[in-house]
Amino acid sequence: MGDQPILRINGLTKRFNDFTALHSIDLNVSEGEFLTIVGPSGSGKTTLIRLLVGIDEPSDGSIWLRDRRIDEVPANKRPTCMVFQSLALFPHRTVGQNIEFPLKLRKVPPADRRARALELLDLLRLPRDYYGKRIDQCSGGERQRVALARALAFDPEILFFDEPLSALDYRLRKTLEKELKDLHRRTGKTFIYITHSLEEAMVMSDRIAIMRAGRFEQIAPAEQIYAKPVSRFVAGFMGEVNLFDMTAGQVPGVTLSPHAQSRFAGQSGTLMIRPESLSILPPSGTADICFTAVIEAEYLLGSRMQYTLRRAGGGTVTVEVLREDAAQGGVGAEITLGCPADACHLIAEVPDAA
Amino acid sequence: MRTSRFTATVLMLYGLLVIAFLYLPLFSVGLASISKARYLSFPIRRYAYGWYGEALASDTVQTLLVLSLKVAGIVTVLSMIIGFFGALAFARYSWRFRKAYQKLILLPIFFPQTVLGLALLMWFNTLGIVPSWKTAVVAHLVWIAPIATLVISIRAYSFDPALEEAARDMGASTWDTLREVTIPLLMPGVVSAGLFAFLLSWGNFPLSLFTTGADSTLPEWLYAKMVSGYSPLVPTVGILTVGSSVVLVALGLLVPWGLRRMRALAGRVPSEQAAQQIPQET
Repeated sequence: MGDQPILRINGLTKRFNDFTALHSIDLNVSEGEFLTIVGPSGSGKTTLIRLLVGIDEPSDGSIWLRDRRIDEVPANKRPTCMVFQSLALFPHRTVGQNIEFPLKLRKVPPADRRARALELLDLLRLPRDYYGKRIDQCSGGERQRVALARALAFDPEILFFDEPLSALDYRLRKTLEKELKDLHRRTGKTFIYITHSLEEAMVMSDRIAIMRAGRFEQIAPAEQIYAKPVSRFVAGFMGEVNLFDMTAGQVPGVTLSPHAQSRFAGQSGTLMIRPESLSILPPSGTADICFTAVIEAEYLLGSRMQYTLRRAGGGTVTVEVLREDAAQGGVGAEITLGCPADACHLIAEVPDAA
Repeated sequence: MRTSRFTATVLMLYGLLVIAFLYLPLFSVGLASISKARYLSFPIRRYAYGWYGEALASDTVQTLLVLSLKVAGIVTVLSMIIGFFGALAFARYSWRFRKAYQKLILLPIFFPQTVLGLALLMWFNTLGIVPSWKTAVVAHLVWIAPIATLVISIRAYSFDPALEEAARDMGASTWDTLREVTIPLLMPGVVSAGLFAFLLSWGNFPLSLFTTGADSTLPEWLYAKMVSGYSPLVPTVGILTVGSSVVLVALGLLVPWGLRRMRALAGRVPSEQAAQQIPQET
């Protein structure tokens, strides 16, 4: 990755009448990075990407591609390309004509266009005889690849993706996520991807930006967002999570070891424990953080077991353990759960702020 | 669920009745056109086909045909163009007065044509325009262009706006987008709108009656002849008129089909070349 960011966004704002969709956003994207913007629907991620591509105009702020300010440049003059949610493949054209479309616009001679289209079919592992196929003869996954090939055809500087996998079934999505990551590695291009699926973001990205109500809540590598979220919103957005309210170093109904007590001494906020960080303790066992709970439901997740429990101090807890560590007893049994202090994360956010 | 034999028979009879109801009148006009008798009466005792030769040889009929074709042709082309852009405004783009526009454009269709014809005639008079086939074109357009717009709008509604955005994003100018994406995708709608426009103009009587002035279209002439001086030439010309409509509709259906075939064949050529390239490169 280069030192100078390929894309720089300063104070980008978008207002629709009296509704503000984006509140003065700042973002730097490095050359060759795979950045995923995640957020619930209505968080402004689609608005943002439409501004970056140039389909819509910002109300305020600037967008820079290296040293060039591009927010005033119309979409057709920007060296970026987007894969649309609906893919937007032209139904009246063949696969080959679709891929060649951006090249045709750039007056590339037909022979060179065809060579490039075939090269892209190879890159995306589509058979070469798909060149003459109609779009409606392609399956969902194949269309996805055609759309990618078309977006790559004119060698754009940045590739944008607007939830292109959301309409596909689970298994195909999983395969394509990996292919996309692989494609990113092979092409070395900068990818900016938006999705509401955290799983997708985790699998593919170098960095994840979590968006909420027109602002970035946190921008960090996936592990960090998962392990050290800055807010309850991010914690809850990134998979299953157990949140405990901590006041002055104490959590009601939870026993803290001296080590944990000194670590959290006097602090208030939200203590976050991921379901897989908790383990089921033997009757005499202890841990830094300890509490008892009654099993309400159990689910088998292949090699793992997941439990929903009701905590003695109130509230439900989710625990995920390996199958060989499954709880004795089953539904209705009371068990003790524990977790080391290092596996928790204290979010400096007061419960009701969220 | 299976339909009982009785229900099936009743439905079949009903269907046949409806078809007879729709087509028997036309059939009888056809019969009348080949009757030797000077007046229309059934049963026809002697048949004669001479009226067709006479109709085609007649200068009057030729003038009428040319004029009707001219009016319908111009109305068709203009309706297709107006309807295309009208439909984009109607169904594709959101703009401030779109709701009002969508309602206003429907008004001429709801207007009785005779009233519309009268209104236009008065308007032309006020402006000092002498009515002729040209004013008839305008009158037809007032009524037919909205219909063409609606027909194309149906197609435009099912159009994914992302297609145009994608084209733009890949570097297409406004004109490129129109030529490469919007026009080809709306083409089926434009062609059907054109067919409608032609047929509606070709067979229009009330608007033409008020606005052609000294000129006369086929339907007007048919009516005039019916009122004063019937001869079997009337049903003959009528049948010829119907025949031309049928030919046109058939062409309208065949040409797009032929184009699709040609495109399908053209699309296959590069793929064969592509297939041939594989052994060279691997």
